[in-house]
Amino acid sequence: MASLGVCRWARALSKGNQQRITALMSGARAASGISKDTLPGPYPKTPEEKAAAAKKYNMTVEDYEPYPDEGMGFGDYPKLPARSQHERDPWYQWDHPDLRRNWGEPLHWDFDMFIRNRVDTSPSAVDWPTMCKHLFGFLGVMFFLFYLGEKYPAYQPVAPKQYPYSNLHLERGGDPNTEPEEVKHYEI
Amino acid sequence: MHPTILMFNSTIIIILIILIYPIAMTLNPAPMKKDWAATHVKTAVQMAFFVSLIPLFIFLDQGMEAITTNWQWMNTMTFDVNTSFKFDQYSIIFTPIALYVTWSILEFATWYMHADPNMNRFFKYLLTFLVAMIILVTANNMFQLFIGWEGVGIMSFLLIGWWYGRAAANTAALQAVIYNRVGDIGLIFSMAWIAMNLNSWEIQQVFIASKEMDLTLPLIGLILAATGKSAQFGLHPWLPSAMEGPTPVSALLHSSTMVVAGIFLLIRLHPLMENNQTALTTCLCLGALTTLFTATCALTQNDIKKIVAFSTSSQLGLMMVTIGLNQPQLAFMHICTHAFFKAMLFLCSGSIIHSLNDEQDIRKMGGLHKMLPLTSSCMTIGSLALTGTPFLAGFFSKDAIIEAMNTSYLNAWALTLTLIATSFTAIYSFRVIFFASMGQPRFLPLSPINENNPAVLNPLKRLAWGSIIAGLIITSNFLPTKTPIMTMPHMLKLSALLVTILGLIIAMDLTNLTNKQFKVNPNMPTHNFSNMLGYFPDIIHRAVPKLNLVLGQTMATQLVDQTWFEKTGPKGAANAQIPMIKIINDPQQGLIKAYLAMFLLTNALVIIMMLY
Repeated sequence: MASLGVCRWARALSKGNQQRITALMSGARAASGISKDTLPGPYPKTPEEKAAAAKKYNMTVEDYEPYPDEGMGFGDYPKLPARSQHERDPWYQWDHPDLRRNWGEPLHWDFDMFIRNRVDTSPSAVDWPTMCKHLFGFLGVMFFLFYLGEKYPAYQPVAPKQYPYSNLHLERGGDPNTEPEEVKHYEI
Repeated sequence: MHPTILMFNSTIIIILIILIYPIAMTLNPAPMKKDWAATHVKTAVQMAFFVSLIPLFIFLDQGMEAITTNWQWMNTMTFDVNTSFKFDQYSIIFTPIALYVTWSILEFATWYMHADPNMNRFFKYLLTFLVAMIILVTANNMFQLFIGWEGVGIMSFLLIGWWYGRAAANTAALQAVIYNRVGDIGLIFSMAWIAMNLNSWEIQQVFIASKEMDLTLPLIGLILAATGKSAQFGLHPWLPSAMEGPTPVSALLHSSTMVVAGIFLLIRLHPLMENNQTALTTCLCLGALTTLFTATCALTQNDIKKIVAFSTSSQLGLMMVTIGLNQPQLAFMHICTHAFFKAMLFLCSGSIIHSLNDEQDIRKMGGLHKMLPLTSSCMTIGSLALTGTPFLAGFFSKDAIIEAMNTSYLNAWALTLTLIATSFTAIYSFRVIFFASMGQPRFLPLSPINENNPAVLNPLKRLAWGSIIAGLIITSNFLPTKTPIMTMPHMLKLSALLVTILGLIIAMDLTNLTNKQFKVNPNMPTHNFSNMLGYFPDIIHRAVPKLNLVLGQTMATQLVDQTWFEKTGPKGAANAQIPMIKIINDPQQGLIKAYLAMFLLTNALVIIMMLY
């Protein structure tokens, strides 16, 4: 909009040298803002709309697949496979080597999540369900066994103190003439 | 002022000045000499070590402890923050040990990092770390401790990411910072709770004022802080990843000093925990889980530094178990003895790595006991000390811990796990020695193997002396504050030794059975579980960020607008009313008489109501 206003003003000013000056003025603004036909649009319903959308996003019609129209506001933005930049060839000469992306390639909706410093979707040596099962199974077993350990703790056996000499019969003021009763001591 | 207290105070100030002076020198715009690191930094740490022996000898002679409050920093009407230093048994013993180990590591680093163009900066970072660590251990209030805590965290980040051109090193440094930050949440929460409820951050006031209170909340915060800093299970993956840093960094930070800061925090604030059974049980179970889990992971690693890193993590779990047994002094003793032999194990690894031209895979080492006799001897001594061989350094602390466990009233599963982890310690230690120094060489023929540099030999010898006699010296000179149980059945007394020997025999048997296998890595579920670190990093580092980022993105771009416009705002109001309108609309089709009747009726009702 600003460029339009300036163009008109430039045209008004330069009655004689119309071409050159307006070209100069609008040329100075050529790299500003996105024009309306490159912005995402509404969900494409007909095959022609799909083809136009694919062309807009620099994709082939076979590859192009929009997000389902469920009220989330995706419009005609393409649904690219959820693969992070970790999975791309590190040795290929990308245009943007740090992003592993070429110029003009369509960006994934979650592109900022899939950069090399963030989420990695590359295949792991063991598949995801197995990993989850093993780790959480291990933790579950551990927590259960800790619970059992709390319920049945380990401790050294304790017993009341045992005294010699028939439970200290004489020291406790027992009669030296009477026979003290038999005291059985036990071993732990 | 009493001359002894004056000496204490003077020594800490002298130590800090000696250590900070080289750092201040770097502010000079003139370029430093090439050997500034070797001449200035190492000498500074050496001098600081000898100065730190003064408080140690005063403590040994007179049993004196001191608290000095130097400067009133931020004092309000209701809250004081001063710089105060606590010279109790823990800081008096730990400071000389930290300085001794650092001195050895710096001397080693003059050889290890001599080809690095920024060696002076490297030494400056290590020195800054050391200053932060000393501030941490001598702090008498939570604020000063927090300064040291954050300082060691930041220096850890800078040092792990030393070779910042390596993406893996950057990721590891970031991982360390993020995991430590999660722990810091706990520490800050505890500090806030203490400030609000006990009105001071000075440790003495905290202990006295909290006598009758329920301290579960701040203790959970402190345990979280220790979990983050000391790599307990749940916040542990940063420690093996931290091996991306140079070996001197791994030896200093991630084995002897920084990672024990979490345990040290719990030791310092132990009086808060003594009466809280929940906190003690949490420490016990968390420590037991950590020690077994990381020992299991260490069994199948192939990088020599990762094995030693997991060994560190396992020993930290053991220290946490000791705290859970209400025995802070034993945990502290294990910190001290562990510093010696673990630093030595790392220096031996560094010597091997450099000698084999930066080869870290133990499958590509072998037969080094002939080529690197001192290194492999020291590695054997260190491993023997680690496994608790009688009368070496580790024996006095580790055996005491296991005895205390056996004779305590505790969770039976925690006891089992710790004993199993002790046998695993023997297994992976033997594995390292077997692969690195026994058997036939598997490394390239033209490797620059040499042991002729005193910068390598002297640190190893010093730390070897420490690994042998430190346990005896510390036990002989410091009385236990809690009465140890001295009578127990023979089996219990020998249990640590028996499980270690059992582990060693199993390991030796396995080497005989498997040295002819043709498949390099077995494809068994248990091997995969152990080798991939229990799948913990793979699952958590993918699922948690993905969940957060997807949720954040969806909320920001779609859900906010959808909520305010379609679910609650204009469209929401309309959608809520349409069903009601539809229900009411259908009956109201063309019933003019009914409408008139209703109109008149309601009019009459309103007029009657208004009259009354």
